[in-house]
Amino acid sequence: MPELRAMCFADLNNAVKIIQAHDEDDGEAAEADYRDAGFDNQYVLEVDGNIVGVTGYRDVPGTDQCHWLSWTYLQQSSQGQGLGKGMLLELIEKLRSENARKIFVKVSDYEDPELGKIYQQALQVYQGVGFKEEVVSNDFYDEGENQIILGLYLRDDEDQLEEDPAVSEEKPIIRFDGLFEIAETDGAYTFSWIVKETKKLFGKRNFSVGDLQVGLESVKNEGGRKVFLTFPSNLPLIHSPLQTAGFKYVGQLQNYYEHGVHEYHFTHDLNDL
Amino acid sequence: MFPIGDDNPQINRPIATYVIIALNALAWIFLQGLGTSEALNESVCQYGLIPADLFSSTSHGGLNRVCYDGAGWSGVLTSMFMHGGWMHLIGNMWFLWVFGDNVEDSMGSVRFAIFYVACGLCAAAAHAFIGFDSVLPMVGASGAIGGVMGAYIMLYPRVQVRMLVFIIVVRVPAVAMLGYWIFVQLMGGMSSIGSSSGGVAFWAHVGGFAAGAALVWLFKDDELLLNHPHRGWNKAAAPTDIWDDPENRQ
Repeated sequence: MPELRAMCFADLNNAVKIIQAHDEDDGEAAEADYRDAGFDNQYVLEVDGNIVGVTGYRDVPGTDQCHWLSWTYLQQSSQGQGLGKGMLLELIEKLRSENARKIFVKVSDYEDPELGKIYQQALQVYQGVGFKEEVVSNDFYDEGENQIILGLYLRDDEDQLEEDPAVSEEKPIIRFDGLFEIAETDGAYTFSWIVKETKKLFGKRNFSVGDLQVGLESVKNEGGRKVFLTFPSNLPLIHSPLQTAGFKYVGQLQNYYEHGVHEYHFTHDLNDL
Repeated sequence: MFPIGDDNPQINRPIATYVIIALNALAWIFLQGLGTSEALNESVCQYGLIPADLFSSTSHGGLNRVCYDGAGWSGVLTSMFMHGGWMHLIGNMWFLWVFGDNVEDSMGSVRFAIFYVACGLCAAAAHAFIGFDSVLPMVGASGAIGGVMGAYIMLYPRVQVRMLVFIIVVRVPAVAMLGYWIFVQLMGGMSSIGSSSGGVAFWAHVGGFAAGAALVWLFKDDELLLNHPHRGWNKAAAPTDIWDDPENRQ
């Protein structure tokens, strides 16, 4: 009888092995993540006392009960028995019982020259439990390897979320304070940003086209391919500089921050610079 | 024909506009004695702008002088807070009330206060240069308010201004209303050249208006302007509309 139970430190090696069997890089990244962020809301699937799968979720700070699905893998020998779908459905029930609002998952569409689309089965499992595709970022992980983000509403009033409520716009002073390569990608960068308090009498307030161009040049000098940025949908001042600097709109994660406040995704291909 | 309002909602409380109106009212009460004859005459001479005093083009103490103890250079600043009568004060403050809030919205209160004074100084300069030998004192906020109107026509030209025509309210685009206003000032100014009599300081209005129309490009804050649905010549699009263009999509 399969049992989904909370993960503990003693499960780390087994969990990482299952992930590594699929993808060595993912295994390394998952181990680092478990060690850094801990085992809260992480689960293992046990069958007859053996760990055959891992799953879990991480809270998204600053959002209204929104979560990301964390490392979710099933031992290859256990696949094809409905265990993966059952594991996800049980996790979703846990989230629903905790009044979670929405959960997202990222999947690659990588096509291995020998094995084909190795994440296709996972994608189908996610769609099978109700996840719907929201954003596809082209060439995210590498040239030709896109990132697909799927979302799943967890509350019964999902139908009411179709229409955007009137959300007040906000105009904070957003400034970039760093850039880094996005984990698990080859040459995809993002800028970190902060909200500043002080307002100047003269001079710029929000980030400018010039700030974006400086960041893009820096990424290019570091050998980056693309830059990906995300912002809440209620910041009207970001759009003009982003568009002027050559960013393209990718899509939005619906109701990511709260009902009516989505997460906009933008990208810039550095080959266009 | 008199503007009674505009279809241009203010976004932020126009604190600087309130303060400027208050300063004018306080000057009227405490320095001009609510327009009583003696206090008014004294204040107009004491705080008004007398071009001839600036350029010493007329001998002091001449028979044609109205004021013998003028403000000198300080009159350039003080004159913009003085008025020649109740209707002069109320009319000016009303125009500032109607147009000032949205211009202040476009640049913030502190910058608006600086902008207002800068327009007033330019208006005084225009008046003084055109009538450099005039011994008549000029008072009034209308030069600075002309600057506010010059900024308004640049920022919100297609906003509907509600005008009271006799007893009927009609809506006129700001560009037409303010364009007509500045046309009248220009015509008045042209006809006043060479005249030594007093009256409306048309060139102060023209100078203030021109200064406001030019300075607004330096003072306006594009981020604050984004708040205004009626800004510019074209119907403002939502900030996110730019992403509807397939060129701007991945």
